[in-house]
Amino acid sequence: MLATLEQKPEVAVNQPAISVRNVSVRFGEGKGEVTALSDVSLDIPEGGFVTMLGPSGCGKSTLLRAIADLVPTSGGSISVLGRSPRQAREGRDFAFVFRDATLLPRRSVIDNVRLPIEVGKKAGATFDDPHKLLAMVGLSGRENALPHELSGGMRQRVAIARALVTRPRILLMDEPFGALDEITRDKLNEELLRIWQETGTTIVFVTHSIPEAAFLGQHVLMLKAHPGRVKEFMKVDFPSGRSLAIRDTVEFITVTARLRSMLEECL
Amino acid sequence: MTDALSHTTAHGAEPNESVVHRIGEGLQRSMPVILTTAGLLLVWQVGVTVFNVPTFMAPSPTAIAVALYENAGTLWRNVQPTMLEAALGFVFGNLFAILLAVWFVHSPMAERAVYPLAVFVKAIPIIALAPIPVLIFGNGLTPKIIIVALICFFPTLVNMVQGLKSASPAMLDLMRVLSASPNEVLWKVRIPASLPFLFAALRIAATSCVMGAIVVEWIGSTYGPGALIIDATFNFRSALLYATVVIAALLAVLLFSLVSLAESRIVRWKPAASE
Repeated sequence: MLATLEQKPEVAVNQPAISVRNVSVRFGEGKGEVTALSDVSLDIPEGGFVTMLGPSGCGKSTLLRAIADLVPTSGGSISVLGRSPRQAREGRDFAFVFRDATLLPRRSVIDNVRLPIEVGKKAGATFDDPHKLLAMVGLSGRENALPHELSGGMRQRVAIARALVTRPRILLMDEPFGALDEITRDKLNEELLRIWQETGTTIVFVTHSIPEAAFLGQHVLMLKAHPGRVKEFMKVDFPSGRSLAIRDTVEFITVTARLRSMLEECL
Repeated sequence: MTDALSHTTAHGAEPNESVVHRIGEGLQRSMPVILTTAGLLLVWQVGVTVFNVPTFMAPSPTAIAVALYENAGTLWRNVQPTMLEAALGFVFGNLFAILLAVWFVHSPMAERAVYPLAVFVKAIPIIALAPIPVLIFGNGLTPKIIIVALICFFPTLVNMVQGLKSASPAMLDLMRVLSASPNEVLWKVRIPASLPFLFAALRIAATSCVMGAIVVEWIGSTYGPGALIIDATFNFRSALLYATVVIAALLAVLLFSLVSLAESRIVRWKPAASE
């Protein structure tokens, strides 16, 4: 945490990493207009791990994409580390991990991880060592493999390593493990928690899975649909720590049961 | 730390096959088509002999072979300019199509303004169009190159536009998050994604460009397989006519093979199924 703060000292310690104020997002025009988000406000604490949960059409992905400057907002304001989403994007303050690994098919694993070093504005940028990051996601020795030679889980690990190469202070993840089988997903959940602890990165993580949201999130942000708005921002605390084993404990099941009933109220 | 699937994805070593073995395998694979061809030629030869078909109506395969041998010098002299026309037209037509496609992808306005015109030009039958450059540029190489380029141009334009747009939206989102420039998006994402589409078009162009060159030679030329075909037809030199057809077809096959070879060298990777 301290190391990352030293790199970008312009942000005060207690300021939230992401601050969303009365944001609305509308798509289309006239009669075809759809309100994806309506008057959403929330703060995501620096260094926190927030999972976003909600029924289909609640605008979880839209909110994440608005934070990442991939979707324009129709009203309200978003501040990412005190800057506009666009400035934050250009300053490489955040990285984005998609549902698909989005690897370039003809490039080797290591060259895919290097992609953010090669493209975009580079003035004064510092980067992490791609080899170190591949080791961090458990892919040492697969540097020269091509994406089609890897399993879906391994491809997603490459995508995570690539996201970390710009030393982002915020990691935005849009259902990154949604296309994976359950065993692979569990393993990656555990490793993502470890990476979060090691790097101190703020993580915002969109998911469809209640256990995943409860297991990963220090906070769960529940959104309601039609139009998308905040239902609840719930703190999740497991005093005994988080390992895959806690998922069979009463305290974990109490949390998921509560999330499930909240999700049903949203429908 | 490896995924459940990692064992099945280990990179297998290429078996070290000998050249002789590979040629043998190739022959084995081509055996059905070789046998079919031989069978058809045999039926043709026997038919022409048994029914006593006059040579000017339909020469036998052996007569065509003799004509090929006897006119080898003439045929070779005549096929050279056609090769040049086809090759230059192929390069110019495709290059122009690729550049236009890149422009269209970066400027939707340009696409709306120019694409319909390209469709209109394509809609004019090439036979109807062929005399125009001959009238303007005479009997030389230029009108042939123009028509060949025109024939190659359209399929490549359509495919290239589609190919450049085939880049996955998520990949384009990623490049936006990385604040990549349009140039970087073009070279790193769009062009690699377009290559399979481009080569599909180039393979079509490789065969149709020979056809285009011959069509213009019919209209205004004193050389080339086109002129040779007209000459041989009016002089009832059927064997020579057929021999010219064989040579024209071989030229198209040669260009097609060159494109396929380039494709296998350039489009080497297998795109992942889930991307």
